[in-house]
Amino acid sequence: MTGVLNPIRAEERLRRPTPAEPRYKDGDGDGPRRPDVQRPDVKDLLNRMRRVDPDAARRYRQRSGE
Amino acid sequence: MSDLPLRNRLLGLETEYGILVEGKDPSHLVEESAALVRSYDGVYAAPWDYSLEDPRRDARGFRVRTLAVNPVDLRYEAARPTCMSENEARSDRVLPNGARLYNDHGHPEYSTPECASVVDLVAHDRAGERIVLRCAQAYQQHTGARVTIFKNNTDYHGMSYGCHEDYLVSRELPFTALQTGLMPFLVTRQVFAGAGKVGVEATGRRTPHCLFQLSQRADFFTEEASVDTLHRRPILNTRDEPHANPALYRRLHVIAGDSNMMEYATALKVGTTSLVLSILEELWLPPFEVAEPVEAIKRISRDETLRWPVLMRGGAKVSAVDVQRAYLNRAIESLSGRDDETDWVLAEWANTLDALASDPLSLADRLDWAAKRTLLQHLLQEEGKQVDLAFLQGVELQYHNIAPDQGLYAALEQSDRVVRVVSDDDIERAITQPPPNTRAYLRGTCVARFPQLVQSVTWSRISLCHEGGAVIVDMSGMVDGTVADVNKRIADATTIRDIVRAIERKEQ
Repeated sequence: MTGVLNPIRAEERLRRPTPAEPRYKDGDGDGPRRPDVQRPDVKDLLNRMRRVDPDAARRYRQRSGE
Repeated sequence: MSDLPLRNRLLGLETEYGILVEGKDPSHLVEESAALVRSYDGVYAAPWDYSLEDPRRDARGFRVRTLAVNPVDLRYEAARPTCMSENEARSDRVLPNGARLYNDHGHPEYSTPECASVVDLVAHDRAGERIVLRCAQAYQQHTGARVTIFKNNTDYHGMSYGCHEDYLVSRELPFTALQTGLMPFLVTRQVFAGAGKVGVEATGRRTPHCLFQLSQRADFFTEEASVDTLHRRPILNTRDEPHANPALYRRLHVIAGDSNMMEYATALKVGTTSLVLSILEELWLPPFEVAEPVEAIKRISRDETLRWPVLMRGGAKVSAVDVQRAYLNRAIESLSGRDDETDWVLAEWANTLDALASDPLSLADRLDWAAKRTLLQHLLQEEGKQVDLAFLQGVELQYHNIAPDQGLYAALEQSDRVVRVVSDDDIERAITQPPPNTRAYLRGTCVARFPQLVQSVTWSRISLCHEGGAVIVDMSGMVDGTVADVNKRIADATTIRDIVRAIERKEQ
């Protein structure tokens, strides 16, 4: 097991089952583009947390859903 | 019946997203959520056909007169700025991947297409995040209003919204046996399926307060079983809408789960529940009954010692992990070797329970609650300041922000700190492609190729313009492995006539 603050080494990646059916045909690329985001490090993670508006949760109001 | 994973049980997830629009209070959220859904700029079909739906029908053999509503929400409803028709408010879009996108009570909701494997379901759940995010970006561009979308289940002020799971279940399993057999599992599975929450929103009579709890939703369950979903929520929802032949099937509609950001948690939540349904379908029952399920689900969630004792009828206390192990052991005995995916779920379930018993936070790279708790502990250590509950709730909320440049989960994923179950390519494909081995393929194919010829859609039926009239395709029987033959025949369909012929050949 690895901690959430450490990157996962390749040999520790989860192996998922092989699908019983053939996978999909290639998509037509009509969906959203993959976001171009830099890989954050632990410092970036902390900075994302520090940047949170202290009143964000106080102001967050929703309708009741199901 | 088939060699598909989990005996081809149809699986689905319905995720209601939280929506924060700059300058808008909750009384505006139905309009804003509908506008966000209408910002979807891809191919779609509409309207949704509600004629087969009856959320007041109870699986225990009766129909309730009304559904409970939240009194605070009624005040928001009364203050709504416009009067929209139900269809306008819902703004249903049926997508080429077979999914449904719409506005549900002021929340953009993405219902995945029916999937026959856990891996496919995870890919489609993640595809939903990207589709909703794309809508939010388009909405922001059109309106100029800043909008933020959260895949979570609470506003920290007593309002909750769901991530519901759907499982096709044999009607031969009596509902009373389903309820008795499932309750200990549903009460305890939060130890791996909980998304984590800072603070407590509702107080039970005897349940303790805490700073951090396992589940986003546990605070909101006040009943053991009922048909309600909006208020006075039950642990076991009894809605009887099979969306399939009602003589043969039930659809178990689980509302007691959290929205998971971690793919692993989603896979384990759905995979284990599906396996538990398989052993219950064999009429197996667990060797215990939870004494007070409503109290127990809260106590487990709020137990910051992470020992999670559960009081059983008769007075014994069993840890939530051992409750789960009882289900796991029976599932291994009964289902081991059935197919690759079953074996994967069994192995990961066992590994997870072992880790929960010895070192729960070692699962921070795959379980949401453990990741959040670790992040918050790290923040507090680094900052060295006193706990401010509202700030921590704000940080926790940011974990669920689906924008890749803002969300905390997104940051973990981008930096390879979480276990993945599907690839980014799997998710991208799921945005446009339906699962190839369920009836969603037929629905999605019709939407992708003939959107103008689709008259209406629902889960078990699609109405198509055909030869100057209409043809209604009944998909209520297309819930087993035999649909794969239909899907192969319609793969190259270029007309509605091709679709109709392919289905007629199945019926002959």
